[in-house]
Amino acid sequence: MTAYPRATLSRRRFLTLTGALTAGSLALGATGLWPRWALAEPDLAQRLLRLGRDIYPHEAIADRYYLETLAPLLEENRELVAAGLDDLDRRARAAHGSDYVGIENDAERETLLRDIQHTPFFATVKGSLLMGIYNNPALWPEFGYGGSSWEQGGYLHRGFDADPDWL
Amino acid sequence: MSRQFDLNDDSLVVIIGSGAGGGTLANELAQKGIRSVVLEAGKRFTMEDIENDEWGMFNKISWLDQRNLVGPSRLAEDFPNLPAWIVKGVGGSTIHWAGVAMRFQEHEFKMKTLNGAIAGANVEDWPLTLQDLAPYYTLAEKKMGVCGTEATGMPFHGKSTHYKVIEAGAKKVGARCEQAHLAINTVPFDGRAPCQVTGFCMQGCRFGAKWSTMYAEIPKAEATGNVEVRPNCMALRIEHDRNGRATGVLYAGADGQEHFQKARIVAVAANSIESPRILLNSASNLFPDGLANSSGQVGKNYMTHVTGGSYAEFDHPVHMERSTVVPGIVKEWEDNDPSRGHVGGYELEALHLGLPFMSAFLDPGAANGWGRQFARSMENYSKMAGFWICGEDLALESNRITLHPTEKDQYGLPVPVVHKADHENDTRMRDHAYRMSKELFTAIGARHVNDLPPYPASHNMGTNRMHANAQDGVVNQWGQSHDIDNLFISDGSQFTSSGTENPTLTIVALTIRQADYIAERMSRGEL
Repeated sequence: MTAYPRATLSRRRFLTLTGALTAGSLALGATGLWPRWALAEPDLAQRLLRLGRDIYPHEAIADRYYLETLAPLLEENRELVAAGLDDLDRRARAAHGSDYVGIENDAERETLLRDIQHTPFFATVKGSLLMGIYNNPALWPEFGYGGSSWEQGGYLHRGFDADPDWL
Repeated sequence: MSRQFDLNDDSLVVIIGSGAGGGTLANELAQKGIRSVVLEAGKRFTMEDIENDEWGMFNKISWLDQRNLVGPSRLAEDFPNLPAWIVKGVGGSTIHWAGVAMRFQEHEFKMKTLNGAIAGANVEDWPLTLQDLAPYYTLAEKKMGVCGTEATGMPFHGKSTHYKVIEAGAKKVGARCEQAHLAINTVPFDGRAPCQVTGFCMQGCRFGAKWSTMYAEIPKAEATGNVEVRPNCMALRIEHDRNGRATGVLYAGADGQEHFQKARIVAVAANSIESPRILLNSASNLFPDGLANSSGQVGKNYMTHVTGGSYAEFDHPVHMERSTVVPGIVKEWEDNDPSRGHVGGYELEALHLGLPFMSAFLDPGAANGWGRQFARSMENYSKMAGFWICGEDLALESNRITLHPTEKDQYGLPVPVVHKADHENDTRMRDHAYRMSKELFTAIGARHVNDLPPYPASHNMGTNRMHANAQDGVVNQWGQSHDIDNLFISDGSQFTSSGTENPTLTIVALTIRQADYIAERMSRGEL
C-alpha cells in the first residue's frame, strides 16, 4: 500500500512533463500511438509491453496506456527493470527455449510470472501498472466507472435508483 | 475562528483528537459553557479539499505515520505498515466514515454473561446497558441527523440500484435486509445540504450532507468562544503532579516547537492506536507502566471488527457506485446464535468501492491481484454488487498496541506496533459470512463471487476498555480513568466489546453522556 502514493505521484509527474509530447510523436503502424521513449527503445518497450499486458490483460486498452505508465520506472528504476526483464528471459529460455515475448501460450507466460511474483521487480512493475490502468480517468469509461460525480450533482437525478430490469 | 487560550490556563479541558469523540466532546462541553483546547495532529481541511478521487483523498487525509503491523494474518502481509485506515485532520475519521449509524443490540453489552468464558479470548461485559445508553443514542441521532430513525423523522435515502440487487438476493434466501440508517441528510438539516449521491462518502462528503465533526460539531464549538482548536499539534505525553493528577499535555506544535498546555481535565480521543500509545508514552516514576494502566489493560484487547468483502459478478449492469456507499444492510446474522459455529453476530453491509480501490482490494498484496482471472473480474466492475462484512471481533489480550523498542517516528516517539490475529471464532464467522454472501448472490444469478480478505481497519476499538472493576479495565462507565480522576478516554478505545455495528454512533452517544458527567462533576467541584 505504501508504494501506491509514490506511484501516483510518479505517474502524474510523467503526464505533466510529457503529455504535450505524446501527440507530436506519432508514427505509423502498430506502434503509432506509442510514447516517444518507446519509439526510441522499441525492443525494451516490446518486452515491457508483453509483461504489462500479462499482468493486467485488457485487450481493449491501447499499448500507450501500458507504456506511459511504465516510463517513470525507466527513469527511476532502470537497473531493476533491466535486470528483471533479463531474469525473466533466462527463465523463459530455460523452460521453453525462447525469450519471454516469444512464448505464444498465455498460460505458460502467466506461469513464469507466478514464479517471480514475489520479487521487487515484479511488485514495482505491477504497482505502477495498477495505478496507470485502474486509476487512470482516461480508461474509466472502458470499465464503466463514472469517476468524479459531484460536479454533475452526483447521481441523485441521474439514475441512482434505476430498476435492474434483469432481476 | 478559534478563540485563543493561554498555555498556563489550568482551567481548561484539553482534548486530544477532533474526531467523533474529541470533536463531539468539545462541542458538548462548549454548549454547557465549559472551555477546552483541542489538540489535533493533522491539518484543517476545507470543503474545496474534498475530491471524488479515491487515491487522491487517501493520500491527502489518511494517517500515514509509521506504524508496524505484526501477527499471523494476511492483513499483516498485505499491509505491513497500514493496520488502520483512518484520518489525520480536523474532524478525524468522521471525514472518512461511510455514515452508518446503528445502535448496539442489547446482548452486545453483556457478551461474557451471555456466552460464558471463551477460551483464548478476554471477553467482558460493559459496565452499562442498552437502557443506560438509549437516551443518548436518541440525542446522538438527533445531533447527527440519522435518517430512518424516530429521533429525526428523516426519511431513508430511497433504494439505489445496488440496494435493489442485494434486496432481491436477500429475499431469495429469506434473509432480513433493510435500508441503512445513515447520518447523511436526506433533507436539509442543521444548516447542511441533503445527499446528492456522489458515491464518494468515504472520500469526505463534498456537499457536507454526511455528519462530520469537521463541519458540524467543530465550527459550532468554536462559535461559542469556548473552544480553541489547534491543528498540526501532536500530543507527545500527558504530565501529572505528585498526587497522580493529570496537569496538562506536552505537544509538538505547528511551529515545530514543543509546548506544554496546562489542563484541569485531559480527554484522550486519538483513536484506538494513538490513544493507548499516548498513555504508554506517558510512563513516569509514579506510573512506570504508563498512565491509567494499573490494570495492565492499556493497549490490549485491540478489536477491528471481523471484516472481509464479498463481490459478485453478474451478467447485467449494476453500477453499484451510483449510490450512497452503504445503501443497505443484511441483518439476518447480526444476533448471537452459537449454533452457527460462532458467537456474536455480523452485518453484511452493501458497500461499493470505486474502480481504483476495487483493483487494490480485490486481491491485495504486492504479489497478488493480477493475471487473466483478475483482469476479467475488473472488466466486470460495472456488473458487480457486494458486501463489506462487519462482525463482532472478540477481545484478545494478545491483540495489542505496544511501543517499538528502537524505531522512532518524526516526532521522536516510539513507533506503535500493532499485533492483530484472528481468534478461531473470528475465522469461523468470516467463513460463515463468505458462505452466506455467496449463497445470496448465486440465488440471483451471480456467475462469480470474489471473497476479499480484510483491508486496513477503519473501526478500531478496545485498547482502553471500560470495566466495572479497576483491575479488569482502564476506564469506568463514564470513560473516566479508574486510576486518575481527571483523565478521560473519549473515543472507541473505551469499548469493552466491538458489537457488530459500526462504532461511530456509539462513540458519539458515549461522548454526550460523558460530557454530562464531566459538567455535573465540575459543577459539584469534584473535578
